[in-house]
Amino acid sequence: MAVLLQSILSGVLIGGVYALIGIGLTLIFGVMRVINFAQGELVMIGMYCTFFLFKLAGIDPFLSVVLTMPALFVLGAILQLSLIDRVLDALPQNQILLTIGIGLVLSNTAMLAFTSDYRILSTTYSSSSVALGSVRLSTPLLYCFLITSAITAALYWFLARTDTGHAIRATAQDRDAAQLMGVNVRNMGVLAFGLGSALAGAAGALIAPIYYIFPQVGGVFTLKAFVVVVLGGMGSIVGATLGGVLIGMSESLSAVYIGSGMKELCVYVIFLLVLLLKPSGLLGKSRM
Amino acid sequence: MILALLLAASVRIGIINSVTGAEAPIGETLSNGYKLAVEDLKKAGIEVDLVSEDDTGKPQISLSALEKLVTRDKVTGIVGPYSSSSANPTVKAAEKNKVPILIPTAAKEELTRMNYKYVFRIASPANGLASAGLDATLALGPAKKLAVVYENTDFGTSTAKTAKEYAAKHGLQLVADEAYSKGSPDYRSTLTQVKSAEPDVVFMVSYVADAILLIRQARELALSPKAFIGGGAGFSQPQFVAERDISEGILASTHWTKDSGWPGAKEFAERYQKRFNVDPPYHSACAYESLRIMAECAAKANNDREKTRACLREGKWDGIMGPVQFVDYDGFQNQNKHPVLVTQVQQGKVVTVYPKENAVAKPVYPFKWK
Repeated sequence: MAVLLQSILSGVLIGGVYALIGIGLTLIFGVMRVINFAQGELVMIGMYCTFFLFKLAGIDPFLSVVLTMPALFVLGAILQLSLIDRVLDALPQNQILLTIGIGLVLSNTAMLAFTSDYRILSTTYSSSSVALGSVRLSTPLLYCFLITSAITAALYWFLARTDTGHAIRATAQDRDAAQLMGVNVRNMGVLAFGLGSALAGAAGALIAPIYYIFPQVGGVFTLKAFVVVVLGGMGSIVGATLGGVLIGMSESLSAVYIGSGMKELCVYVIFLLVLLLKPSGLLGKSRM
Repeated sequence: MILALLLAASVRIGIINSVTGAEAPIGETLSNGYKLAVEDLKKAGIEVDLVSEDDTGKPQISLSALEKLVTRDKVTGIVGPYSSSSANPTVKAAEKNKVPILIPTAAKEELTRMNYKYVFRIASPANGLASAGLDATLALGPAKKLAVVYENTDFGTSTAKTAKEYAAKHGLQLVADEAYSKGSPDYRSTLTQVKSAEPDVVFMVSYVADAILLIRQARELALSPKAFIGGGAGFSQPQFVAERDISEGILASTHWTKDSGWPGAKEFAERYQKRFNVDPPYHSACAYESLRIMAECAAKANNDREKTRACLREGKWDGIMGPVQFVDYDGFQNQNKHPVLVTQVQQGKVVTVYPKENAVAKPVYPFKWK
């Protein structure tokens, strides 16, 4: 019983981080219909920012979220204005090539700048935990999950309650209609890509203390984010949240009950099953 | 006459190493070992013309590196590659091309088990790593239940396999057998499973980054066996040891330590530390000694591959890796019967605790979280 509870708990907590990366990806896709294959590399940049802020300035990795998010927002906005914006009307495969290219440039630049060494960020609470009966709750993972939830809640509020949020959602629903209603869709694109990147940066900052950092780390997260988004339904933010937690849990449970080496296999089997039975994803609408 | 000898003593050796890619951090420690070896060989009158190839940690690139070294660069002998995965196809090609290859660190047993004539290995194969580690643990106190946790790569599975065979032979009950795929941020579920089996000894095979994550998460979950023991690779490396909260008391089997008492080991460590500002891991020592032996033989053989092979086969050395001799035993061929050491992290330092003749400190037992 303890084993079951423990693995569900770990799964949900780690799933929260997957969800955060997925939300960034789905937001960008929703507004611009571009799949950002450089999402993982943006996470990697967030991780390096956090690492160096901690090493050089002594800023706690969880506090550094407030710095990495704006930094990545700016980076995302620049990428959108200078590169992505030019291919919005191009064929999907060209857009994919562009974002994959951006990812390659980012990871190889990081390799040149920081070498391919693995870096580990250790804080005083790196391996501490809270006991809840027979279950132990990892302290860094708990902080990570709480901040993730706060950021997700703030994003929901922003999209549901503010005018700008409404405009972003309108653009996602129908680009042309939104434009006719006086929404500046180009600006919304910049905003969405900036927000998506900022979320990736936040995820990077939150993962940095519980994982290790190296230039190729992005690939792991791009793939995971993509699965999370497709599982939840492309463009659906609630779907991405759900998808993230679901992937986290199925990884964790399959590692215990099927085999540690098989957890990826189980995740993709579930993923394929969902696609077979409900091709638009769990919460996706047919067009979205 | 002397001049003629000096001129003759120029040898061409190929190196295959992981200079970039995921294995690069360890690859660099091998490169450092090679650098020091070249300097010392020069002092001894052997000019080494080193041709270095980078396999980026990928077996297929290692294989084509070997082919280039053999056909285009016409090297006399090859030292490398670093990892078991890379070495596996590479030794086959070396045998086919009849070029002597000396493997410095790769532990996969089969590498020197396939009746090859041109393949030599200085480090102990995986079974040595596992059995020395478990021997040491059993010498410390009685244990009944063993858990093995390892990455599902050539190195991980082959080391874990021998640990399991050892357990069967010595009446240890195998209560958990967990192969994980490396690079996951979360091993908690695997470790929860291990914890629920209540093992006395946890034997782990991981590289350094995963080693840190695994032990961190084991501490979070309060997995508390009587001993944690790492088979080679990550668990005695400086980066791991520097994690003071989690590294204290962890045992690890290794091929080399600076306090092993082997001739020149201490001086090598001091020189290395001065030069590269970090303590040498066993990889550096294996690399250093391998290149030294290969170059010596190549010089003696006047760059003749066949004679170099014979020299490796017949020679005997006693240097920083202790006594080295390539012999056939237990189904191995051209394998150095290397005495494996067991270390423990004590007060933030790696000290040798087993076997007795090399030990400099008493092991701390049973294991307790700091």
